[in-house]
Amino acid sequence: MLQITINGKQIEVPEGTTVLRAAEKAGINIPRLCDHKELTPYGGCRLCIVEVQGVRVPMASCTLPVSNGMVVNTETEALKKSRKFILSMLFSERNHFCPFCQVSGGDCELQNAAYHEEMTHWPIQPGWNNFVVDTSHPYFVLDNNRCILCRRCVRACAEMAGNFTLSVAERGAKSLVVADTDVPLGESTCIKCGSCVQVCPTGAIIDKTSAYQMHDKDLTEVKSICTGCSVGCSIKLMVRDNRIIRIEGGWHGSVNHGVLCEHGRYDPMNESRKRITTPLMKKDGKLEPVSWNEALKAVADQLRPLSGQKDGIAAIVSTKLPAETLTAFKDLFAHNEIVTTTEEGMPTASVTKFAEKQGSFEGKLDVLSNADTVLCIGVDAGRTHMVAGFMFKRNMPKGTRLINIDPEENELNDLANLYLKPKAGSDLALILGLQAVIVKEGLGRSPLALPDTDSLIQKAVEETGISRDQLTQTARVLANSITPVILFGKGITAQRDENLVEELYNLAVLVGAVDSERLGLLSLKGEANSLTATLLGLDQIFELNGHKAVFVALGDDYVSRSFVERVSKVSYLVVQASYESKLTAQADVVLPVTVWSEQEGHYINLDGRVQKTQKVFSAPENVRDNLAVLNELATRMNISLESNWKQAILARKSSVALN
Amino acid sequence: MQTKRAMILVSNDPESVRLGANELIQHLTEALIAYDLQDEVEISPLSNVGVSNILPLVAVYPEATVYGPVKAEDARFLVEEHLYKGRIANDLLAPPKHLSGNIGWLRAHKGYNPAEQRIVLERAGRIDPENIEEFIAENGYQALGKALTETTPEQVIETIEKSGLQGRGGAGFPTGRKWKFVRMAKGEKKYIICNADESEPGTFKDRIVLEGDPHTILEAMAIAGYALGADEGYIYIRGEYGLAYRRLQHAIEQAEEYGFLGKDIFETGFNFHIHLHTGAGAYVCGEETALIESIEGKRGEPRARPPYPVTHGLWNKPTLVNNVETLANIPAIIRNGAEWYRSFGTPSSPGTKVYTIMGNVNFTGVIEVPMGITLREVINIYAKGMKPGSILRMAQTGGSSGSIIPASLQDTPMDFESFRKAGVSLGSGALLICDQNTCIVDLVKVLLQFFRFESCGKCTPCRVGTQRAYEIVARISQGQGRLEDLDTLISLGQEMERAANCGLGQTAAVPIRDMLKHFRTETEAHILLGSCPAGKCEMLPEVEHV
Repeated sequence: MLQITINGKQIEVPEGTTVLRAAEKAGINIPRLCDHKELTPYGGCRLCIVEVQGVRVPMASCTLPVSNGMVVNTETEALKKSRKFILSMLFSERNHFCPFCQVSGGDCELQNAAYHEEMTHWPIQPGWNNFVVDTSHPYFVLDNNRCILCRRCVRACAEMAGNFTLSVAERGAKSLVVADTDVPLGESTCIKCGSCVQVCPTGAIIDKTSAYQMHDKDLTEVKSICTGCSVGCSIKLMVRDNRIIRIEGGWHGSVNHGVLCEHGRYDPMNESRKRITTPLMKKDGKLEPVSWNEALKAVADQLRPLSGQKDGIAAIVSTKLPAETLTAFKDLFAHNEIVTTTEEGMPTASVTKFAEKQGSFEGKLDVLSNADTVLCIGVDAGRTHMVAGFMFKRNMPKGTRLINIDPEENELNDLANLYLKPKAGSDLALILGLQAVIVKEGLGRSPLALPDTDSLIQKAVEETGISRDQLTQTARVLANSITPVILFGKGITAQRDENLVEELYNLAVLVGAVDSERLGLLSLKGEANSLTATLLGLDQIFELNGHKAVFVALGDDYVSRSFVERVSKVSYLVVQASYESKLTAQADVVLPVTVWSEQEGHYINLDGRVQKTQKVFSAPENVRDNLAVLNELATRMNISLESNWKQAILARKSSVALN
Repeated sequence: MQTKRAMILVSNDPESVRLGANELIQHLTEALIAYDLQDEVEISPLSNVGVSNILPLVAVYPEATVYGPVKAEDARFLVEEHLYKGRIANDLLAPPKHLSGNIGWLRAHKGYNPAEQRIVLERAGRIDPENIEEFIAENGYQALGKALTETTPEQVIETIEKSGLQGRGGAGFPTGRKWKFVRMAKGEKKYIICNADESEPGTFKDRIVLEGDPHTILEAMAIAGYALGADEGYIYIRGEYGLAYRRLQHAIEQAEEYGFLGKDIFETGFNFHIHLHTGAGAYVCGEETALIESIEGKRGEPRARPPYPVTHGLWNKPTLVNNVETLANIPAIIRNGAEWYRSFGTPSSPGTKVYTIMGNVNFTGVIEVPMGITLREVINIYAKGMKPGSILRMAQTGGSSGSIIPASLQDTPMDFESFRKAGVSLGSGALLICDQNTCIVDLVKVLLQFFRFESCGKCTPCRVGTQRAYEIVARISQGQGRLEDLDTLISLGQEMERAANCGLGQTAAVPIRDMLKHFRTETEAHILLGSCPAGKCEMLPEVEHV
């Protein structure tokens, strides 16, 4: 611990702390613009300068490490004068015309700083350069006229998303924030994660959807969890008038630390489906609005005699629903043969089966942060679960290697150090081939009995279509890594083969990805609650065999055409959904239910974290909560829903430790 | 009769004999036998040459080189140098003014100008830079050999420290102390970087060394690697120096071929590899941390300091960054010792300094003179005076970010300490001598234009300050200035000096400050009278200020 005295106040801080953070700890706020608590310090704006005893000139506190016994003054007359002048330089540099800017009046850190330092006008002439405003991007506007070149956006694009789209072109007074090699933002490699918008201190990068819709101070903030996929990012919703104005990545989130992908940030804002606002029942071939009583009575009367009968009811629930709802659903239809999910356990059944034999074997997402090699097999982290992809993309300039194995076109192939395109279905041969090369060359970290490595290698080459050289090179890179991580997904798990998972596990142990200290093996699962569903035993494939009724609890999830085809032939179809779809069009009864933001509940993400979503809005008048509907049905069907989800999920061994 | 290829004439008049001429002849004979030259070289007495101060005198033909006074113990050295190695034994040469003209062709005292002492530029221009053997013949790689085989790393650092050598890139930081910091820094892997970015306008001193004597830099870096515990070095050379780059590349190849670079140098187990890295046209990459960023493949923006490169440099490892001229002094110091180096220059700034002289003087070019010489001496002795019709008005010392000093300060000794006391900076060694036709406002405008163009853009004070300051001075030079502008300039200069991230921003303020400190009247003339006293600036028609 080091001692530092700031403005006469003495405190102790750990080594490596900057003077700016030390001051914050002492309750002293040093004005700053380019610094952001989640990004590496830059030291460019120079607003945070402080006087250090014994040093001739002021120093930028955001980049100055505390040294023992340092004495710092943050509020001298000279410093105040300097800060005012620096602000006047910033205002004179570009076209800072506040009156019509979206962030003026409280949301602009530059304006706030000027008010704070009492800088009301500047003695040097303005820029008079007009920069073209880039509106080519679907979600944001890049207006260089308002930019103060703090580089927060450049750093965010690099350190949060790992996409490195934004950078600064030219130098000196000609410096300009550009995308790629100075192309319009809408035509660039931008993946629309919105990290830059979230950190921009001025109105230089503006979110189109939320502009002009009220200052932040007048919005309500609600912290919740994104239900877009199984990563489970923390989000912060900015709402007013029962409406979401903006979704931000939650800085507080232990999974994502503030970063979010395009889907989490914008999909809910782009919702175009039609909301179902009243229960519907098919009368004379047409869906008519009915009362809740009528609808529920009809459903209960139909399902009660069928419950427990062979080929009676097939019950399917969406894995996008909270754990409480999934548990209730399971209990409600427990007596029936087919109780499963829309995913049919595709991302999770095989890993859970293997866990029954091996115990929990998957690691946490944090392990990606210090991986020196990441092997992605059967997963496109550039398209799905993008935030997981960010976690290693952003380390690649520091040396992290990416090996991509995918029989299909993969978004990350351009980025990968090595990429293999094996023939579809040849995964087992490939994994065994990699094992064989490593064992043959004696590169394994732990012993693995593999008879006849030569024939395994030969088989791998033949079945995958990959050359021997490529196979050998891949194996060597993986085995020579110090902290490798193997990341797999639907490409592997869809094959529902726990033997495949086991061999992947063996490979992980062989290369030291998994050992007594690290669990560097993890799978990207499907929807927000895929893992929960599988732990509740809801992961079988369903096969309708003349079933008399199908109950689908869809919530706000999407449904595929093939699914609709599979269930619509049944004679009685009940759909509990929020939005109109081809499925609801086929239904006999439609029960309108809440969407993700209108209900609360628990979710378990892909690495075992139990998180809770918040209820942000009240549902429309005639719409009911998902869980409430199931409870009501249970009462009418004389079925008691006894399980507590917390206990229910413990029935099966989880492939990843829960916490 | 056997013809001899050379003849040594030794004066043996009574005065010479009294001063030891016979012993000298004896020793010369023995030396010839030792080098097996007795059949090729003849020793002959020489009577009355008409001079008395340089006896005993030795003349060697056919070169007609005159040595004197020569003592008996010098005999072996003279034979080894002149007759065996075939080069002039410079230390024994008779000073030119002592000779009456009786002897024919005379080789001038070393260097081009009187009292010019060449350490850094010792070989440049006199050897073939593409031939390593000429370098070796001129004491090349001797220092490296001595360091590796006869001294410990700590002793090497001690020698450099004792020599008092200061950085010649402009900052003047004690070199030995910097070396010590890097040696003491924690870590196995360390780097040596030679800063050959030389982008200061008017400075081309490093180019002379890189083009004319590239091996001396390689030798110095290897010595530094040995002393500091580094096995890898980089030479960051500005992209525009094509010839220097090729010469360095060739030199590195040759040095590796001959075993002076690479693995197991001098069979001591010491390894050292040097990589060449070119810049791409950015003055700011001469700043050591921006240079390091550039080598790492990033934008050349100076890092926040602390930490400094001595502990966290290239790839965050302890790194030594030294200027070309600084390094060029190292082998000579190792060969001749710290005391020898201290015999040049002043006590607080020992050694020599290479200056590039430009401007309204008769001789422009490169000179190497002891530290402590005054500007007046430089102009009058080395630059051979102001051009006809030119009166000294001001001089800019040290490149664009150096001080602009008025003629009244021309007697200040040019060493780091004296200049600091006078409030001016010595910088990297470019001397721009200006006469009465140079306008200070125009000069400052051009300098600010340079800084505006070269600013990296990271920090607000420099990025905006250089731009705005240039605009204001440009307006003043066009007769469109106002008195308030001078206050604004002072504020801009002050804030740039206080708050800028690196030396570029901090010293860009210096020309402004000097203009207002030493030449305020001239500046005000532009504003108040709308006229340029030097007759340089083009005034625009008057604009009414509302």
